[in-house]
Amino acid sequence: MGGIDRRDFLKVIGIGGATAVLAGCSSQKPENVIPYLVPPENPHLGLSLWYATTCRECPAGCGLLVRTQDGRALKVEGNPSHPVNQGRICARGQSSVQGLYNPDRIRQPLRRKGDGLFEPIDWVQAEKIVAERLAALLEKETSSRVACITPLLTGTLDRLFDAWLAGLGSKLRYSYEAFSYEPLRAANRLTFDQDAIPDYDLSQAQMILSFGCDFLETWVSPVSFSAQYARMRTFRNGTMGTFVHVGPRLSMTGANADEWIPAKPGADLYVALGMVREILAQGSSPLPAAEREMIARLAAPYDPKTVESRSEVPPATLKRLARQFAKARPGLALGGAVASSGRNATPTQVAINLVNYVTGNVGRTVHFGSSSSLGRLSTYQDMLGLVERMNRGEIEVLFLYQVNPLFTLPESAGFREAIKKVPMVVSLSSFPDETTAQAHVVLPDHSPLESWGDFSPRQGVHGLIQPVMKPLFDTKAAGDTLLSVARHVGGKLVQALPQESFYEALRGDWKKIYRASASAEDFETFWENALRAGGVWSEPKKRGVRLSSQIARVDFSEPSFDGDDPAALALTLYPSINHFDGRGANRPWLQEIPDPVIQAAWDNWVEIHPETAKKLGITSGDLVEVKSSHGRIELPVYLYEWIRRDTVAIPIGQGHEEFGRYAKGRGANPIRLLGPKAEGGSGGLPWLSVKVTMKNTGKRYLLTPVAGSNTQYGRPISLAVSLSDLLKEEHPESEAHPSMYAPHPHPKHRWGMTIDLNACTGCSSCVAACYAENNLGIVGKEEMMRGRETSWIRLERFMEGRSPENPDFRFSPMLCQHCDSAPCEPVCPVYATYHTTEGLNAQIYNRCVGTRYCANNCPYKVRRFNWFTYQWPEPLNLQLNPDVTVREKGVMEKCTFCVQRIRRVEIKAQVEGRAVRDGEIQPACAQACPTEAIVFGDLNDAGSDVSKRARDPRRYRALEEINTHPAITYLKRIRVDSEEG
Amino acid sequence: MTQLTYSRVNRDLIKTMEPPKKNYYLTLAGLVVVVGTGLAAWLYQISVGLGVSGLNHPVGWAVYITNFVFWVGIAHSGTLISAILFLLRCKWRTSVYRAAEAMTVFALMTAGLFPLIHLGRPWLFYWLLPYPDRGLLWPNFRSPLMWDVFAVSTYLTVSVMFFITGLVPDVAAVRDKATGLRKKIYSLLAQGWQGTDNQWRHYSSAYLFLAAFATPLVISVHSVVSWDFAMSIVPGWHSTIFAPYFVAGAIHSGLAMVLTIMIPLRKLMKLEDYVTGKHLENLAKLIIVTGLIVGYSYIAEFFVAWYSQVPYEQAAFQYRAFGDYKVLFWFMVLFNTIAPLFFFAKKFRTSTFWLLAIAIMVNIGMWLERFVIIVGSLAHEFMPFTWGLYRIRLPEVLITIGGFGWFFLLFLIFVKILPVVSITEIKEEIRHEVEEGKP
Repeated sequence: MGGIDRRDFLKVIGIGGATAVLAGCSSQKPENVIPYLVPPENPHLGLSLWYATTCRECPAGCGLLVRTQDGRALKVEGNPSHPVNQGRICARGQSSVQGLYNPDRIRQPLRRKGDGLFEPIDWVQAEKIVAERLAALLEKETSSRVACITPLLTGTLDRLFDAWLAGLGSKLRYSYEAFSYEPLRAANRLTFDQDAIPDYDLSQAQMILSFGCDFLETWVSPVSFSAQYARMRTFRNGTMGTFVHVGPRLSMTGANADEWIPAKPGADLYVALGMVREILAQGSSPLPAAEREMIARLAAPYDPKTVESRSEVPPATLKRLARQFAKARPGLALGGAVASSGRNATPTQVAINLVNYVTGNVGRTVHFGSSSSLGRLSTYQDMLGLVERMNRGEIEVLFLYQVNPLFTLPESAGFREAIKKVPMVVSLSSFPDETTAQAHVVLPDHSPLESWGDFSPRQGVHGLIQPVMKPLFDTKAAGDTLLSVARHVGGKLVQALPQESFYEALRGDWKKIYRASASAEDFETFWENALRAGGVWSEPKKRGVRLSSQIARVDFSEPSFDGDDPAALALTLYPSINHFDGRGANRPWLQEIPDPVIQAAWDNWVEIHPETAKKLGITSGDLVEVKSSHGRIELPVYLYEWIRRDTVAIPIGQGHEEFGRYAKGRGANPIRLLGPKAEGGSGGLPWLSVKVTMKNTGKRYLLTPVAGSNTQYGRPISLAVSLSDLLKEEHPESEAHPSMYAPHPHPKHRWGMTIDLNACTGCSSCVAACYAENNLGIVGKEEMMRGRETSWIRLERFMEGRSPENPDFRFSPMLCQHCDSAPCEPVCPVYATYHTTEGLNAQIYNRCVGTRYCANNCPYKVRRFNWFTYQWPEPLNLQLNPDVTVREKGVMEKCTFCVQRIRRVEIKAQVEGRAVRDGEIQPACAQACPTEAIVFGDLNDAGSDVSKRARDPRRYRALEEINTHPAITYLKRIRVDSEEG
Repeated sequence: MTQLTYSRVNRDLIKTMEPPKKNYYLTLAGLVVVVGTGLAAWLYQISVGLGVSGLNHPVGWAVYITNFVFWVGIAHSGTLISAILFLLRCKWRTSVYRAAEAMTVFALMTAGLFPLIHLGRPWLFYWLLPYPDRGLLWPNFRSPLMWDVFAVSTYLTVSVMFFITGLVPDVAAVRDKATGLRKKIYSLLAQGWQGTDNQWRHYSSAYLFLAAFATPLVISVHSVVSWDFAMSIVPGWHSTIFAPYFVAGAIHSGLAMVLTIMIPLRKLMKLEDYVTGKHLENLAKLIIVTGLIVGYSYIAEFFVAWYSQVPYEQAAFQYRAFGDYKVLFWFMVLFNTIAPLFFFAKKFRTSTFWLLAIAIMVNIGMWLERFVIIVGSLAHEFMPFTWGLYRIRLPEVLITIGGFGWFFLLFLIFVKILPVVSITEIKEEIRHEVEEGKP
């Protein structure tokens, strides 16, 4: 069940917000914005309206429900009826409100003055400048020299950009994403004659074999994959799916694996091919003989010995892996993510395809026919082509729309120099990023939360984007800007774009979808329903694929690295789960929420194995120079045991030179270290293609010390149980400790929570949800260095494993345990904290005088003190949840189990004269959790989901022996015993 | 004291109250600056927030609470010397008790500031007091902090009463010589004292009663303060030994502070004939006793942690001795338990230099003890993931120094307006000695 069911809306919808939204784009005709359900007759102040829309923070295109109140967007949650994310949402998605309210947003059109600085101008002026230039080009018949770089767009805006360029006679449209997975497409062309990125079904897999694929973090559609992964990992019928991670480093995704195979960087393909050979040799492939033979010929040279020499994976491991994988029906091998895409990315992905193909997984866990829209992107090679055109002076006007190639392309690709040769650069971006800083005219777009639009992340899913509030600033939707400029230019261009407004164009396009859907309703009903639901979806036809004959031509080449001297270390880059390709770096939440694995915030760093560091004379906290043959950057060192000794890793996303106060001047951009050459097979950027040398600068730079310890010293905090132990019958109730006091009476409800550590992946979406819901202050790096972050829920990460066979990472969300016998309560001299009759440990901010005794006495250390009165620079303050007090300095605060959400539901139930339903109340953390690890409910009701889970054989309570009687029950993580599988 | 006569006693002791010289005013001005700086730092902290301190998550208490416990501890010896030794008829207390009592009052006046300073919202401090309000909201009597409020305020009240009562005959003597406004003030303090037999009879029983009343407070107040820690579940705090341990520690530090103050004082005020080496030696002997108790407590704490087999306790004590604050810990052990052992040697306890040096060491050591217990335990609690470090920051330094300045400022004013040695009791001493036929 998702976070907000329809009944919620009945209660919370008022039409008050309509006034704000309808007033929307004041220059246009009124538009009808339809909330999720029909609003009640009378508007009520203080009630929220929820709008369904689509997330544009990454190309995954999750469905959103945006809570608005009094005309302000407050919080983003997942849309339960959306097929991609099914009500769940990641931290980046939740930060979209901080994009909307970002204090560094471009607030009106800008023009660059002679001195290089921007000056504000009005829209008519700005559009005229552009239009005049375009008209002049049309006159000279050189308007084909206009280029557009957009991110991945689908639907109306995509069509509009194409039509607009076509009107100018140009074909120079670039759909650019930093992570565009060209090798996946190229490999699918070679293996299956499919130029597409397929849809994966992790939930059906019994074994996932990931070749450096960070599918729980940023790869393709992480929220969707996380949910599927959790289903795959669910313990049922005495078993659960297993997960093996191959690659030079354990990412957050890899940290969830049962086993780590630390293959040499770039050598994944040999492991895959070795497995193919083994599987065929073991005779467990369901393929027809002809295909089997063809594949066998390809894989023949990769006997276990050869594989070992090239990848350092021992033959025994390889054979076991092959056996395990063949036995899993179905399994799923994943690859093609940034961290492991080198110069041989395409053959590597072909090899991974073969692993899936020989075991019959294609069609069972890998589906063509519902392909990802990512397959429509321009390649990195195309971008190099654009750079060349710019360098040759062939681009007269360059339009940039919400892309930042200056940051995301390697410095050596020369975009920085090339863009300076373009006579006119027009940016439609919302933020003053590096590329926009090069623009001559800026025509700022609305935030996606202020815009109309649509986005289709994969075939069969048409997500609608609707404005949830009136635009904050003097901005204009990009589609309308295009139309308006076209009108200014006139002539051919306006004929290509006859629509009055983007909204009209959108509805026009959706009439086609309406006709295709063969719906019985009239269009208006269809449209309203689509708006309420967040879009329309259909089950796409799945397409069977066969092996292509082209496969024989694949050259399974050795990986190659620039700067390949023996002392150099392979550099693996990975997209930061918080900052993605850098676009998340200007969101204070995403800066403040620590990286789940490294547990540092507001920075980036270089990860290096402690032994390698020792050899190089580097220690933790040293600032080192990382140098490749293409560039050098300086970064602080993090000693990470779960990386190969010949490899270093750097997260992508920091190192902005522009991009506003939160992003600017933090860390360094590791993309600068890469070479310009595209991968031959796919035209993609080879991310894993340089070796670097490290030199101690002698300077020190400390990362935020979020993790006080990397191990729990055997304390009962984050526990695991092995599968074999779990299968044993007896699971004795842990010994009840005697207490001197009777438990509190909970006559009606006893709110409680279970957290399934087997489902928790560490993604920290719950942390972001808490920041968003509860008005948690942002303290910044300096204060985080002093341990003063305000997070009510934190993700404790322990590295308990000692060998790659069992990495045994533990991620456990730690929040107020709402103890029945809470140590914090008796010590407060003024009764600012007490136990409610519903089992909450309540904190009364107004009463708190700030002795901090409660925090000292809290064994879980979940109480947070307001060291200052935290500020939200305008207009970030507009995001504050009006249901939650903003605390002043000197007051203690902590998790409330989202008491405001409990009350809303309780009041609603009371008004409707019924009992609160199980699952109806969801705290923000539980609502956001992509894997549904967090379940909330009434422990007094033995039939509730939470009560059932609290009786699970894996149950335990954190620090049970100190007898605090927490309301939170943890379920142990399940460790799959190696070999068994 | 053979050469002492009643008239010389009067002359010598009232002479200490003569108008001060330039150096006195310079010192006074210096202390006012120190206190002013501390006050400014506090105002800054109030206006900006406690974030200006080094406090953090997980170390919610640090220097301010250290100062509080330290000053409450200092306060203890005053009562010990004036009340307990009075009841035990220890004659040597006569010459030092007035200063020790003043020290008690001033130390409490200093200690009382720190719980306010450490509050997140000090302007609401009165919520800790049990006053009837419209919301019928009372403070939480289960909270050891509440007990503190009562313990410390009771102690302050009784100490002040005891101090004022002890002063009555002396103030009357001063009154008789004073003129103008001073005379009026001293008259008020003397409460109409005429020195009649009847007055003496009442005075003596009142003094005895107050002494008896104050005695249990010496034990109880610091026990209650120690329960701030012992009643919590913080490993390293949660221990039954805390009450006696803290009381012994308090007296330890208090005695050391008496020495620290008396040695320079008797020199500056030329009171060597009244506060003799014998007095100081006796104080030193007491310090040996308290030092041994404190040392025993240290060992007992570690033993219990080891013997309990509770991993959290064991980790806490391992951390205390070998963790981030180990240097402070070992200085604490050296200063509090090793250094006082030198007093076993007569040479050390009769040398003014060594007496002062070791007394100062004990003062530092006892401050460190509280710091190590408070910060060292909080930094390393149950959840390894939240282990953290505390580092002191400038406002805390200024406020701490300001606290010392405040204490010495009060003391400096005291020595010039009231007799630092009890005239009456010294005279009694002389009479006893004459009557007992001592040389």
